[in-house]
Amino acid sequence: MIEFNRVSKRYADHDALRDVSLTIGTGEMVFLTGHSGAGKTTFLRLLMLLERASMGTLRVDGRDTARIKGRNIGRYRSEFGIVFQDHQLLYDRSVLENVALPLEIAGFRPRDIQRRTRAALDKVGLLGREKANPAVLSGGEQQRLGIARAVVARPRFLIADEPTGNLDPQLSAEIMGLFEAFNRVGVTVIVASHDLALISRLKHRIVTLKLGRLVGGSGL
Amino acid sequence: MNKRAVGLGTAPRATLVSWIHHHRQAASSSLLRALRLPVATGLTWLVVGIALALPASLLVILQNIETVTSDMRSPARFSILLEGNVSLTDAQDVSNRIQSRVDVRDVTLIPQDQALARFAADTGLVGLLDSIPENPLPHTLLVNPLDSVESEGLSQLAMALKAVKGVDQVVFDTLWQARLAGVLQAGRRLVMGIGLLMMMGAVLILANTIRLAIDARRDEIVVIKLIGANDAYARRPFLYTGLWSGFGGGLLGAIMVGVFFIYLSEPVNQLLQLYSSDQRFTGLGIMGVLNMMLLGGFLGLFSAWHAATSQLRELEPR
Repeated sequence: MIEFNRVSKRYADHDALRDVSLTIGTGEMVFLTGHSGAGKTTFLRLLMLLERASMGTLRVDGRDTARIKGRNIGRYRSEFGIVFQDHQLLYDRSVLENVALPLEIAGFRPRDIQRRTRAALDKVGLLGREKANPAVLSGGEQQRLGIARAVVARPRFLIADEPTGNLDPQLSAEIMGLFEAFNRVGVTVIVASHDLALISRLKHRIVTLKLGRLVGGSGL
Repeated sequence: MNKRAVGLGTAPRATLVSWIHHHRQAASSSLLRALRLPVATGLTWLVVGIALALPASLLVILQNIETVTSDMRSPARFSILLEGNVSLTDAQDVSNRIQSRVDVRDVTLIPQDQALARFAADTGLVGLLDSIPENPLPHTLLVNPLDSVESEGLSQLAMALKAVKGVDQVVFDTLWQARLAGVLQAGRRLVMGIGLLMMMGAVLILANTIRLAIDARRDEIVVIKLIGANDAYARRPFLYTGLWSGFGGGLLGAIMVGVFFIYLSEPVNQLLQLYSSDQRFTGLGIMGVLNMMLLGGFLGLFSAWHAATSQLRELEPR
């Protein structure tokens, strides 16, 4: 469970989040929406401990994230799978090696890494492209590769920041379908997107931010 | 709300098998990465090699000089000439006092009559010496110090012997050995000093190499930290980069020293033969090569650790 309790994030020149209180239940799928600068990315960055809240408390499964420091940050982050708009793939490694990375970091055995990596690639339809360099994949394939890497270690939370920003409507729907599939097996999914047309078609909670404030969808 | 995920959560972290696997992977990928850039890698190895080869060459030369000169050395011995008015009984007394010192192995008293007879026999001046009414030679003591007494101890012993009542003159024939030992000692310190300076240079060069390597892979490091890697995981490949750079530099340095000694050995061995010495000019040997590689590896690891630790701490996802 993720609990934002009166969380604010203040930068030198503006407030990115203001007094946000929100609870996201375990196994829930939530869309985070709002215009550019609404605070969606700041919300996710606070969750990933890339930033710290200026005020308020953020708890994940009961743990106060303000107390997570040093080497425990890596362990905390490994509970999340992250999908980026710009994929953030490593282009000097193969498709297989990219997907295997979270498993290596998490300390899986080599034979488990092989098995899980192939399973994740199979789920996103990239089995057979293991040896390819990510650079030769299309935009949609690169995004699917990013999703495979995000879910391969079976994270408790899957976070996506504008995952369909660069994709056409058909590919976007395909990617959202993948998120729903992972959510169905119990992964808590949080997707930041400003594509209202797409997310309103899906039957999940929509949380709306405006100028750093929560303006809709705060309840469970 | 969906049901809670089954079997989710983090895997057991850092199991021994996966830890070893990542070390193997980091070691091999670092080596392959280095070999894919032969010019840059070769230059780093060369600089580290030169930094190690110079002090190593000087050290080996010094060791050769020590070996050769030890062949020429005779045990240190003092000749003590007693004052002319010292009787044989008093000379025996002085001998006993010197013998009781802890730094003296043995003392031999040569009475003045025996000294004169030996001198006459050695010089063939028997007739002439017979015509002298009084023996001009004093009683003499030959003092052998303990082998463990080194140059400074020998100087102190000479001063102590000179201060003994009845002693007129102390002759230390092997003073040159003490001086040579002093020169060699100074030489050793000079080599150590040069070695330390060169190693500091090697550490700075290696640390800079690692910093550049980290800079070149900045994006990759940010991504792996973002997906849960800690600093130890991110640092590991760079530690191996440092280790390989040091090993390579050490090996290249050892080859340079070897070539230098092959070039030098023939004229030096000829020179030694002219001095009838059995000694031969020797190079690093297998152990020397291994030591240079190990030293290079240690310097590489040390440099990489410091460079990577400080830089990775600052390299956080933004």
